Amino acid sequence: MRVGVSMTALRGSRCGVFVFLAFALVASAAGPFAAATQDLPTANPLPADVEQGKQTFEQRCSTCHGLDGGGAMGPNIQGIPMRIGAPVVATTIKNGMSGGMPAFGGQLTDAQIQQVIAYLLTLTRKDSGAVTGDAAKGKQLYGVSGCASCHIIDGQGGDSGPELTKVGALRGPGYLKTTLLYPGSDLPQARVFLETGGLLDYMFVHIVTNQGKTYEGTRVVEDSFHIVIRDAQGNFHSFQKSDLREFQKEPGKSVMPSFKETLSGAQIDDLVAYLASLKGAQ
Amino acid sequence: MKTFRYAAALGAWMLASPMYFLAQNVPYDRILHSANEPQSWLTYSGSYNSQQYSALKQINRENISKLKVAWIYQPSKAVSNLEASPIVADGVMYITEPPSTVTALDVRTGLRLWTWSPTLPEHVVSIGLYATSRGVALLGDSVFIGTADSHLVALDAKNGAVRWDVHVADNAMGYAMTGPPLALKDKIIIGSAGSEAAVRGFLDAYDPKTGKRLWRFWTTPRPGEPGAETWGAGAYESAGATTWNNGSYDPDLNLVYWGTGNPAPDFNDDERPGDNLYTCSVVALDADTGTLKWYFQFSPHEDHDWDSDEPPVLFNASIDGKPRKLLGFANRNGFYYVLDRTNGKFIAGKAFVKETWAKGLDENGRPIPAPNQEPTLGAGTLVYPSITGGVDWTSPSYSPDTGLFYVSVHETGAYFIKGTGKIESGPPKGIVGGGGIRALAGEQSYGAIRALVATTGEKKWEFKMLAPAWVPVLSTAGGLVFSGTDEANFFALDASTGKPLWEFFMGHSARSNPISYEVDGKQYIFVTAGNTYLAFSLP
Repeated sequence: MRVGVSMTALRGSRCGVFVFLAFALVASAAGPFAAATQDLPTANPLPADVEQGKQTFEQRCSTCHGLDGGGAMGPNIQGIPMRIGAPVVATTIKNGMSGGMPAFGGQLTDAQIQQVIAYLLTLTRKDSGAVTGDAAKGKQLYGVSGCASCHIIDGQGGDSGPELTKVGALRGPGYLKTTLLYPGSDLPQARVFLETGGLLDYMFVHIVTNQGKTYEGTRVVEDSFHIVIRDAQGNFHSFQKSDLREFQKEPGKSVMPSFKETLSGAQIDDLVAYLASLKGAQ
Repeated sequence: MKTFRYAAALGAWMLASPMYFLAQNVPYDRILHSANEPQSWLTYSGSYNSQQYSALKQINRENISKLKVAWIYQPSKAVSNLEASPIVADGVMYITEPPSTVTALDVRTGLRLWTWSPTLPEHVVSIGLYATSRGVALLGDSVFIGTADSHLVALDAKNGAVRWDVHVADNAMGYAMTGPPLALKDKIIIGSAGSEAAVRGFLDAYDPKTGKRLWRFWTTPRPGEPGAETWGAGAYESAGATTWNNGSYDPDLNLVYWGTGNPAPDFNDDERPGDNLYTCSVVALDADTGTLKWYFQFSPHEDHDWDSDEPPVLFNASIDGKPRKLLGFANRNGFYYVLDRTNGKFIAGKAFVKETWAKGLDENGRPIPAPNQEPTLGAGTLVYPSITGGVDWTSPSYSPDTGLFYVSVHETGAYFIKGTGKIESGPPKGIVGGGGIRALAGEQSYGAIRALVATTGEKKWEFKMLAPAWVPVLSTAGGLVFSGTDEANFFALDASTGKPLWEFFMGHSARSNPISYEVDGKQYIFVTAGNTYLAFSLP
């Protein structure tokens, strides 16, 4: 096969996608593109459609995007219908796009494309556990525990962590609970995200410049010669790697605090119930 | 011949640009002796030996830090995957714009002289590939292009007027041309893509004057022909082994060297027992007749999609004190090979990236398979390198000054999963992959420019990059190696040490062969990125 599709440049227009209190949430709820809530795909596709979409995806898409949508010769497209909207994804499948995506308009029907999108939506959902807590109590806890200083729900809150407006549609209670207790345990993998060109993996970085100044924060963007991080105060710092004495990445470390010691088990369950109820506009 | 194809000669340049172009005429002798005119770039890789090397040295280690953008050309409509290596001669540059447009530019300014586009079908079939073009060939006063719908077209180099147009293969069956033609003395050589559509590969030669087909070499043998026993019954007909990139030529031996692609289906080998000749090979053909002189198969019975379509690099060097005619090939399967190009005999081989599928190479260069590295059902098998290979189609470079072979490598693995892989008759409905992969993510993958001792494959130095890149390499007599990162940096390294000397962020990753040319006493470095063609020079 002749291919050459890039994993996409790391540089993008993304700003402010950083994690402080970061839920490992993913890719999907995060970032400026999460605003496209009006473009949610058809709710509740039939299992048969998802299965058909899986077959179409595996036959037509997976050679470039990987069987799990995580990218191969083409970019990672996990969760992309939730971030940029199903209509945009459908148009892209039909018309192709810059970077090497072929146009499938003459090869797939609209129904087949919707089935593929329905299947794509299942790829990033981490669905485990059951809700046992009280969502109303959880909402109160969310308000008093500092979550909103770093996370946005329905347009309100800080922007340094992933947006949570639709987190319940993407993450099951089991995942949410684990992340509240052990924030760095399941961070998204460092894959480039197509529409931002950014790395939404919340990589913790420790830097010491040749002048001896120390910086810590989360990677915003990196190329082979440069890195930009965002510190705990939300400030961007841009470095040329050749100017650094120390440059360490610390995968698995999160700047989000664990709530294991500060909330009771019942409170954690309540908070999980609230987060699991956030499904975005339907 | 299609009569509705048209040429659109643009007149604006005549007003905007002084008439200083020489008559366009590049006979075979000029290509043959391209070393005598380093100011030109006359083939895809600069010369018949595909070394991706420029003898120009105005831009060098001492002044590279001053390199600046001289001009930028952008196509009139947004395109992507600008993979075309330009041809430069006598003040004119010939490029292609995807899918199959040919454009002539003024090399001093980037101003457009003329452009030509074919009328393509509403739905061009492009299965397992995207409809791009890696460029044209120039011979005499004609420019040649292979189109996305598998036509070979000859244009007047002065104005883009169509001289002839031949239908080479059936696009509806999945044949599509993305590779540039190679112009010989009296032949235009061109191959086709389409292995994922399960077409049968071939390499063709055409008369430059008339478009008449002079020979065809099928890359898989029919029953009764040598090598037919390496296939299951009938499997040769939908076999892959396509020839979708450029090749090389040794005028003294009169041999054309060309790489071939993967067998179909990629990951499911149930219907194709045996070595599957001549997939994943380099073939050496008599240029006059298309007869197979020798072949070397890098990956017998391949099932990881590791095509061998990188242009073979021809160079001469001493082995054990004796001068030898050699062929170097950094294969997608992760091994670097040195062959005797007179007879295809294996001389040396060494893994140039992490690989887990072979324990090594035997005395004939055949891989010694490692156990349990085949694609499997369910979760699959983790294999290094990934489907993207140690390197894919992006050209390496050989510098006769350093004796080093420079290649942009992918250090990564993937889970290979076997699926159903039945090939159906009739036009293909999609990729005939027979499975798929899950790639390793993020920090588990990285790229590098590696300098290998060309005669042994021993690593001399490396320049690490964040992500595996898809950028070809150029080396120059200025002691420089040019290439790019996947993140959009275009850079120059010291050819002897790998030390980075210059870097420019282009906003999009480069995707074409970086090349070099000279005009009015000024050397240029040229590459594509995103939707732009960029020329760099010293102030």
